[in-house]
Amino acid sequence: MNAPRHAGGWRRLDPRTPLAHCAWLGAPLGSLALTALATGGRLGTRAWITLAVIGAVFAAITGAGALSWRLTRYRVTADAVEVRSGLLTRRVRAVPLHRIRNVDLTASPVQRLLGLVVLRAGTGGHSGELKLEALGRAGAERLRGELLARAGSVDATEPVLSTADPRRLRYAPLTFWVFGGVLAAGGAVWRVLDGIGVQPWRIGVVRRAFDAFGRSALWLTVPAGLLAVTALGVVGAVALYAENWWGYRLEWTDDATLRVRHGLFTTRSVSIERSRLRGVVLREPLLLRSGGGAAVRAVASGLGDREENRKRSTLLPPAPRSEAVRVCAGVLGEPVGTDGLLPHPRVARRRRFVRLLTWAVAPVAVALGVLGALLAPVLLWCAAAWLLLAVPLARLLAGAAYRALGHAVRGRWLLVRSGALSGETVVLDRASVLAWTFTDTPFSRRAGVVTATPAVAGGEDAYPIRDMAADSAVAFADAATPGWLREFTEPVPSGG
Amino acid sequence: MTGTRIRLRPPRHRVDPRARRWWALQALLTVSGPLLLTAAALLVLSALFFPGALPWLGPLVAAVLVAPALFYQLAMPAWRFRVHAWEVGASAVYTASGWFFQRRRIAPLSRVQTVDTGIGPLQRRYGLATVTVTTASTAGAVKIAGLAEEDARAMAERVAEAVRAVREDAA
Repeated sequence: MNAPRHAGGWRRLDPRTPLAHCAWLGAPLGSLALTALATGGRLGTRAWITLAVIGAVFAAITGAGALSWRLTRYRVTADAVEVRSGLLTRRVRAVPLHRIRNVDLTASPVQRLLGLVVLRAGTGGHSGELKLEALGRAGAERLRGELLARAGSVDATEPVLSTADPRRLRYAPLTFWVFGGVLAAGGAVWRVLDGIGVQPWRIGVVRRAFDAFGRSALWLTVPAGLLAVTALGVVGAVALYAENWWGYRLEWTDDATLRVRHGLFTTRSVSIERSRLRGVVLREPLLLRSGGGAAVRAVASGLGDREENRKRSTLLPPAPRSEAVRVCAGVLGEPVGTDGLLPHPRVARRRRFVRLLTWAVAPVAVALGVLGALLAPVLLWCAAAWLLLAVPLARLLAGAAYRALGHAVRGRWLLVRSGALSGETVVLDRASVLAWTFTDTPFSRRAGVVTATPAVAGGEDAYPIRDMAADSAVAFADAATPGWLREFTEPVPSGG
Repeated sequence: MTGTRIRLRPPRHRVDPRARRWWALQALLTVSGPLLLTAAALLVLSALFFPGALPWLGPLVAAVLVAPALFYQLAMPAWRFRVHAWEVGASAVYTASGWFFQRRRIAPLSRVQTVDTGIGPLQRRYGLATVTVTTASTAGAVKIAGLAEEDARAMAERVAEAVRAVREDAA
């Protein structure tokens, strides 16, 4: 494909752009309407002041939006994208086309309604992002084609790796959102009610229900409440999953570009160039693992800062493990076995146990013990009960964390597995390892273990292999990235 | 990973001995000094207004503030000096740093992006510098603090030269 030239051809953003800014009016106007409803239409002075402030801010923001729309121009030259903007200080931002690593199109619900999309071109640097807000959908698709055209296009053998499957919704409840989502939503509702001056526990229905039923039968109310929260959370998690992963599609759009798109109200689309892809992470958090599910994330550079990278690098939402393994193989280009990794020395298990005892079990026991000795002897019994309960639990957790540890070199891939709760298996391209870091403390040296960390550009940047046997860690690193570690090594003296 | 068992040897070059004084001053200004001042303030206030608290506050302050501050102030600089070292090899750059937590990092010269030399206000007093060799990964920057300025310049130059040589070999 050849890139169209626009000699001096500055283009404008879509004229509907400033309209999308009106969306934020929804929240304050909505809450104002609620206030009006709650107070029976009599708006106090406060409400009028609020309305005036909203009006003024609205005018200012719309004006600023319109102005910035008028002043912003962009063009694609033979070798760069240029964006011109700014009122007082005119800025021209030029990003060389060859440095663009991915191009995403996203749209908020309002922008979707208006047929607009935001185009983001990432360059990998943490500040090197180019954002065009907003373009017409067709124009944006075309522009993305232009920008990504540099890589050449050969059809991959199996372009579509995975598509949406409603049956995967059953994995939605196995995520953090079941309880976290309810708490977040509950907090938001509470704040809205509080904001318009309604105190939920004063509402007659709630009071009467609690008086009549709740107080007399707490043994029933508490489990019922928990059940309700769980049910609500499950519904919320499923709804969230459905919105987020509606129309999900993961495919190689050409030989060099992996694209994932999904979303019902907000369409998210992320393109990752093969040359920016360092590997994948197979994620099996405890809950999801217990349901036989897994998710897949890309390790890639140029997706923005750490936070954005986490959000945008998901290749496969919670799905059956076999599907996740298949997607990994499709992304990596070959199946890579993630079972039977090299185990870590037994002392790693003891270290995890000791760490849990020191930082989680002991502080509570000591606090209870001290308080018990000073104030109420019953707390001493609590301390004893805590120890009886927590020590076996810590032992169990330490065992799980230890069993999760593993590492291996398989073909051109380096595998790192860790996390009792998060359960992540990282598969990294050995050629993308930019540095090795070996960290230890006097304690770990005495235990004969070391943490070896391969550094890559992308994802979390560092993927530590914790508590490897000290005398084999360097040999392992050298096997994974041959050539540049050997000159700094010496043989381990026998018996040492 | 069977076969020959190997381990890392320390890098060949130590940092400048003056670095000990720099670290000591830094420790005094950022950690030990504030801790000791806090301890002194607590004890003085307690002696003036709550003399009854001294019997238990004294040992507590000594254990929680004074002892760690003194340990850090006295042990850290020498310990750190024993650890910090650097070496530019044929194909990679290798540094060791830290004191309690020790870190050895190796990055291949072919992946080096920039070589920065920085001199902080305290370092200037002792004629010291910090060299940072960056790669594309934030977890891959090789940093060595406490070099003599001329050593830092030499190291930066050697890394730059070695990078050029490695690149030309590859090309």
